[in-house]
Amino acid sequence: MTHPQDLSLRQQADAIRHGDISAREMLDATLLRLKERDNDINSTPVVFDELSQAQISQAPAGPLFGVPITVKDMYALPWRAARNGTTYNLIPASASGAYRNLRDAGVIVIGIANQHELGIGTTGVYSAYGPMANPWNPLNCAGGSSGGSAAGVAARIVGGSLASDSGGSTRLPSSFCGVVGIKLTYGAVPYDGYFGAATTFSAPGIVARDGGDARLLTAALLQRPLPQQSGSGLRVGVVRDPFWNDVQPEVHEACENALALAGWKAIDLKIENLELAGAAFLGRLIAEAGIPSREVLSSVSAPTRALLLAGLLTSARFVPRADRVRAAVRYSLASAFDSVDFLAWPTAPATAPSLEEPWVTLPSGRVPVDVPNVRQASLANLTGIPGVSIPVGLDASQMPIGLQLLGPWGSEARLLDAVEHMERASDRRFVNLTPPLAR
Amino acid sequence: MSNFEEWASATFRHEEIDFDATDLALVELIYGGALHQLEMLDRIDLDAFPARGIDLRHAPKAS
Repeated sequence: MTHPQDLSLRQQADAIRHGDISAREMLDATLLRLKERDNDINSTPVVFDELSQAQISQAPAGPLFGVPITVKDMYALPWRAARNGTTYNLIPASASGAYRNLRDAGVIVIGIANQHELGIGTTGVYSAYGPMANPWNPLNCAGGSSGGSAAGVAARIVGGSLASDSGGSTRLPSSFCGVVGIKLTYGAVPYDGYFGAATTFSAPGIVARDGGDARLLTAALLQRPLPQQSGSGLRVGVVRDPFWNDVQPEVHEACENALALAGWKAIDLKIENLELAGAAFLGRLIAEAGIPSREVLSSVSAPTRALLLAGLLTSARFVPRADRVRAAVRYSLASAFDSVDFLAWPTAPATAPSLEEPWVTLPSGRVPVDVPNVRQASLANLTGIPGVSIPVGLDASQMPIGLQLLGPWGSEARLLDAVEHMERASDRRFVNLTPPLAR
Repeated sequence: MSNFEEWASATFRHEEIDFDATDLALVELIYGGALHQLEMLDRIDLDAFPARGIDLRHAPKAS
């Protein structure tokens, strides 16, 4: 008999609705699988055994009634403060806006998804709960900052997870772990009880195993329907430099092949002032990161502390200039979206590096993976647009590769149309790839 | 002590932040890299980049 967590999230919801399995049986099977599988990857270090049982009796009969998910440590829950990957209660316990929307759809929150401490990192190496590992190879990074969300979904521990994305934090770990990760348009969900409320970059995100599951969870999170349409015949803007040129050859090839498979019309595109976007992102990010309390600062890893301290030294003169560039890039993007439906380039420039030495070798040289990861991801955060990472194959070492699609503001439904079209065009051979841990 | 170390140390002490030599070395590396990128913003022509309102939830209104 198929384990309930080997079903898609849609199938889980249907099975419960039709009485093929009870919400309690679903939960028990999920908690058992978590205990069996999570030792190697540390995706869900905090588990709500009894509280999740209690949630079932209170859950409304929504479209996701009884479906277990995890929630990143950036969101306050009624019974737990948000800790942002630290040991400190940083946002008091409350029903955060994102949690309320998912709760109203009937989900059961079984635990806290691990994350890179304070959300400042794309590797998942540093967390108060310990590093999170990749289900495809536990010696490699799961990614970050939402590494626990992506690893748990890839390992078939849960069918979906509430993540967040301030500089690729949903899309990058999804690429590393071979799952679908969508960053929502900025401000599309209530931000109360969410760390993203303190920045102009962060947006909630959803991690799921395929486009259909991502659509179901995203619709619940947005509290609006996301009607499915054909994803064929779309026009895709390809920005070669640096997003396609400075990536590992296997990543380039897999993403190129996937685009060809989808049959979309590819248009080479230049985005005006794009060369300044990274600096604008950095200028704003440093200003907004701020400095946490002395207690928290002394508790985090040396690299994270150094990032925060470097911010303390940085002149505020860059902020108004960063905003001028930000406004200009937004106009350039809006203009680009007059001629294409979305933009496409590799989500991450390389597959997941080792936990021990999270560096990657690219055509431009050997660098810490955070630097090119943020370069590939941050345009969406700078401008507020949504984006999604889709699995498009494996490299020679059997690590997943992700293709990123970025669409105009509010285009979540269209992006998911594209994801599902890609799945059909590839006979689901990428999205059905299963990590060794889940076989 | 280099000029950077003196400046950074004084700033951190003023902020009552504990730090050590490892912190200073890492901060210098990160700060140097960030500054190199941020200085691109010093060179923009302000007339070509007017200050405009930004509503991240929506596409910018046509100007």
